[in-house]
Amino acid sequence: MIEPRFDELIHAPTRLSIVSLLAATEWADFKFIRDSVGLSDSALSKQLTTLEDAGYVEIRKSFIGKRPRTSARLNSVGRAAFERHVAALQEIVARAGASVRPQ
Amino acid sequence: MPENLRPDEAARALTEIRQRQEQVIKLAIIPAWYWWAIAGLMVGFSAAIDSHRRLAIAIGTSVFVIGVLTATARVVIGGMRRTQPRNDLLGPIGVLAILGFVATVLAVSLPTAFALQAAGVRYPATLGVLVGAILMVLSGPWLTRLLQRIMLAKRAGSQR
Repeated sequence: MIEPRFDELIHAPTRLSIVSLLAATEWADFKFIRDSVGLSDSALSKQLTTLEDAGYVEIRKSFIGKRPRTSARLNSVGRAAFERHVAALQEIVARAGASVRPQ
Repeated sequence: MPENLRPDEAARALTEIRQRQEQVIKLAIIPAWYWWAIAGLMVGFSAAIDSHRRLAIAIGTSVFVIGVLTATARVVIGGMRRTQPRNDLLGPIGVLAILGFVATVLAVSLPTAFALQAAGVRYPATLGVLVGAILMVLSGPWLTRLLQRIMLAKRAGSQR
């Protein structure tokens, strides 16, 4: 049973999109996240740094041939925080009854 | 819990979460060409075996092994270049579905080949594998859709 806990850091719209993507992946390529969420390189870097500083995300820099490649993943702390946040959102919706449902 | 978050806002956030996760899962597809490639390689390999010629068997085996490895690597690396869906989204049901798919193809191919051999038909292995290959090409996309459905059901924010 997951204990619901609303997470202000995750709930910010852009970060919610990033964390939701990462929650479904093992690792996600920087460019994939950038293009999926529709951010500039610098804006995404800033958001990922915020999540990394919070201890939610792990950033990996590697090379494929001579090309640098940056990937990100949600670590176990981030995953647990995300699950609790989802549970909190579900609780808010459930309390409102059947009138409000996610699509 | 924030007092100011309205239920409709929470519902919108849940929708966003579900859609973003669906975006990742929808990328986890096995392209149709993969099933055709594997099916073609299987039939070619069986034909080489059925020829009973050493050179044909050697070439057929090499082409089969290199072909399967190349096609599989291309699908896997192509997917990993962008993102890789979480392994645990598949779960035991997904693994069972994949094993069931392989078992079904074998369960169709092998008895067909043995039955044809017993009936004295020429190239029984090739014909048996051909039946399995047709099954694979037809049901491969179905397996992909099934695996996606399994992953979608297990993503965060799904109805519990």
